[in-house]
Amino acid sequence: MYSREIESLLKKNKIRAGDRVVVKKGRQQYEGLLLPRSEAGDSGSLIIKLDSGYNIGIGFKGASLEKIKGGGKGLGKSKEKLLKMDFDKKRPAVSLVTSGGTIVSRVDYKTGGVYAVDDPREFLRTVPELKKVANLSRVVSPVTRMSEDSDWKDWVAIAKAVHKELKKGEGVIVTHGTDTLHYTAAALSFFLQEPGKPVVLLGAQRSSDRGSSDAGMNLLCAAHAALSDIAEVGTCMHSSISDDCCLFIRGTKVKKMNTMRRDAFRPINDLPLAKVFPNGRIEIVNKNHKKRSKKEAKLDVKFEPKVALVKVHPSADPGVLEYHRSKGIRGFVIEGTGLGHVPTKVEKSWIPGIKKLVKDGIPVVVTSQTVYGRVHPSVYANLRTLFQEAKAIPGKDMLSETAFVKLGWVLGHTKDLEEVRSWMEKNVAGEITERSLPETFLY
Amino acid sequence: MKMTGGLEIHQRLDTKEKLFCRCRTTFSEKPLPLEIRRKLRAVAGETGEVDVAAQHEVSGGKEFIYKTYPTESCLICSDSEPPRPLNLEALDISLEITLLLNCEIPDEIQVMRKTVLDGSNTTGFQRTAVVGMNGWVEVSFGKVGIMLVALEEEACQILKKEKNRTVFGLNRLGIPMVEIATAPDIKTPEQAKEVAEKLGMILRSSRVQRGIGSIRQDVNVSVPGGERTEIKGFQNLKEMPRVIEGEVKRQLSLVKKGKKVERTVRKANPDGSTSFLRPLPGAARMYPETDVLPVKITKDIIDYKRKNLPELLEKKQEKLTKELGIDSNLVKALEKAGKMELFQQLPLKKTKPQFAATVLLSYPGEVKKRGGELGKVNAKQLTDVFEKLGKGEISKDMVIDSIVQTSLGKKPAPSKGKVDLEAEVHRLLKEKPGLSFGAYMGILMGKLRGQVSGEDISRALKKGMKG
Repeated sequence: MYSREIESLLKKNKIRAGDRVVVKKGRQQYEGLLLPRSEAGDSGSLIIKLDSGYNIGIGFKGASLEKIKGGGKGLGKSKEKLLKMDFDKKRPAVSLVTSGGTIVSRVDYKTGGVYAVDDPREFLRTVPELKKVANLSRVVSPVTRMSEDSDWKDWVAIAKAVHKELKKGEGVIVTHGTDTLHYTAAALSFFLQEPGKPVVLLGAQRSSDRGSSDAGMNLLCAAHAALSDIAEVGTCMHSSISDDCCLFIRGTKVKKMNTMRRDAFRPINDLPLAKVFPNGRIEIVNKNHKKRSKKEAKLDVKFEPKVALVKVHPSADPGVLEYHRSKGIRGFVIEGTGLGHVPTKVEKSWIPGIKKLVKDGIPVVVTSQTVYGRVHPSVYANLRTLFQEAKAIPGKDMLSETAFVKLGWVLGHTKDLEEVRSWMEKNVAGEITERSLPETFLY
Repeated sequence: MKMTGGLEIHQRLDTKEKLFCRCRTTFSEKPLPLEIRRKLRAVAGETGEVDVAAQHEVSGGKEFIYKTYPTESCLICSDSEPPRPLNLEALDISLEITLLLNCEIPDEIQVMRKTVLDGSNTTGFQRTAVVGMNGWVEVSFGKVGIMLVALEEEACQILKKEKNRTVFGLNRLGIPMVEIATAPDIKTPEQAKEVAEKLGMILRSSRVQRGIGSIRQDVNVSVPGGERTEIKGFQNLKEMPRVIEGEVKRQLSLVKKGKKVERTVRKANPDGSTSFLRPLPGAARMYPETDVLPVKITKDIIDYKRKNLPELLEKKQEKLTKELGIDSNLVKALEKAGKMELFQQLPLKKTKPQFAATVLLSYPGEVKKRGGELGKVNAKQLTDVFEKLGKGEISKDMVIDSIVQTSLGKKPAPSKGKVDLEAEVHRLLKEKPGLSFGAYMGILMGKLRGQVSGEDISRALKKGMKG
């Protein structure tokens, strides 16, 4: 927004963003399109798009602004529709479920603002190769959110949409913002345990307006994965910072491991299901996966959202547990240190707090902040205190995020502590493996 | 000959770090084993149109391979990380250049993305910002307008071009660069050369990189009834008038035949002709770089810069020529070779400046032949050599050897007095009697090279053999 002073002058002189204007200041004169002020920068500067295409800011103080006659079209929204893709009906059908995020945003080339596309099909046009792979004409958008804003209700909405679309085609592709993509992937894994067909999630780490965006190859590889025989819920994004291939990774075993790289999504304590190449080649890496079947997928979205994920650290105050409880939290995942430790022998021991929670029937699951490896209940005396005396539940080799989602899903079905313990220690959707393989570390 | 022309000059700036990351700008390292392979996709503008130039660039789904470097490339260079804030050292230099060109500076500088899909930018666009507008430069035929000065990222260097893949080096990508676009005030090919020379002189008055490729001149040419074409890739300014003349003739003959002149980018060939490179980009290729915050330029900053502008090189050269009484061409040559700073640090009052200039300009080849490197000798070491020459401790023809020895890290030549040549000759003749003059000469030269001139050795040896 411009400063109040500028806004009122624009109103008075009936000048709108997008009008062709002349700005005079001293001996200088600039002509071009008046642009709306983006949130960044000085609200007291007029932004003018010169005919060369460049934008410059001109301080309003001491400047005069005039509209050029006949130069006022206003910006508004471009009425022209972007080219839509016509898909070949003979190709196998794959449904596209969109949920917002960078991948379905478009840049307004005049203002530089980023908006969600009016029609999610718009972004398919940059990947013409898709036409030869699948018929992607079914597009649904149950939610539109930036990744950081998503919550459990979005997981339910997306799962319901995916469940419906699984009946319509050979597989489903879900586009999503990347920040919390792995939470959604885990949630879909528990909500749709036997999808019978591939459910492939993807996002983009580089915005779609640029020629180098990873969105195109991710989408293309996801389409190939959605037609494969791997009937799992998983993510499909770049394997490296080159445009070589994507990794199809189990939804309960994937984590965003980098803030910005294209290959941020890595398998943790597991091998990727497969490498998927843009030309359609699929290289199976992990034979432990469900195969495509005729069985109809079941949807189970019972969920208890009152779950907290808490991280311990040196000198961490256990009072945080009591705080969460006072807010109505019904289950905890504590991200411990190393093999699953919490502060035990110090003044601020976490053991009494955990004991009290468990005694009151509130489950406490412990995972590790090392990310890789397995929580162990008995290697050290302090671990024995936590798991045998205080009766915390070892999260085994589950990711903290996955354990968090799983606990909510389990608590949606039962509040009985012993039942919860038994579910949490048992593999449900590939989230727990019993054998640790050497090649999975830093894959 | 009726023509309208304008120049676009691209000049790399001499900064410590790149424009949007903290990589070094040395552009001299050997690549690492890690290579990054990428493809670029055509992206449609807001109207759904794909720019003609962009379309041309992506056709065929070419593969781009990027070489990486230890301190000269990072994840920002490979478009794996968002950019850091605009490099303020580069901004400072660009503002200095802008003021030397009498331009107005916008109150707020907004970085833009200019779509480039030939692989020379890993992002698919070049980051560029207007820092100056509406300036002028004075030349022999009047004033030539400066429409625009932009601060922008240098592109990747092409290392290898094959049919379906191009190999690029990431180390040049992102080095700060200014682009200067003149108004179409140029009316003859000779004028184009003059303006290019003048702009080059002004740029070199500020802090800019030197050497091959650090400055590039493009010429925009059109004739009545023709269209604007852009000529790139001049090897040197001398060929510029001839190439422009050729392009004017080409356009005129097309117009005469009633054929359309296409808006194209053309390459200057060594034979003076031009050849098609790609269509000229349209205006729809620019939109804001939202990852970089706009920079406000206050009046205080501009006033300060205006008060502290560097002296123009031509003025500096004029003064120096007068002061030292040497050939003005020699001063220009020193400047062009980037040796002026070194030259001025030498004891010019004590040494003959003409000779010192000659050493800096014409000795590098000879020094290299003898295994040394003039570039490794600093001003203090050179001063030592010249001081010895001034005192008569070494002779003129021993200067090269002294430089060679110094550059190899060996002790600078001892003064003439320290070698007792007569005694050396006497000892040798006694130790190895009966050898030829040539053999004795060879042994002595090997032992005393850089300390005593060959002439002196020969004289002493002749004397010794006679005696």
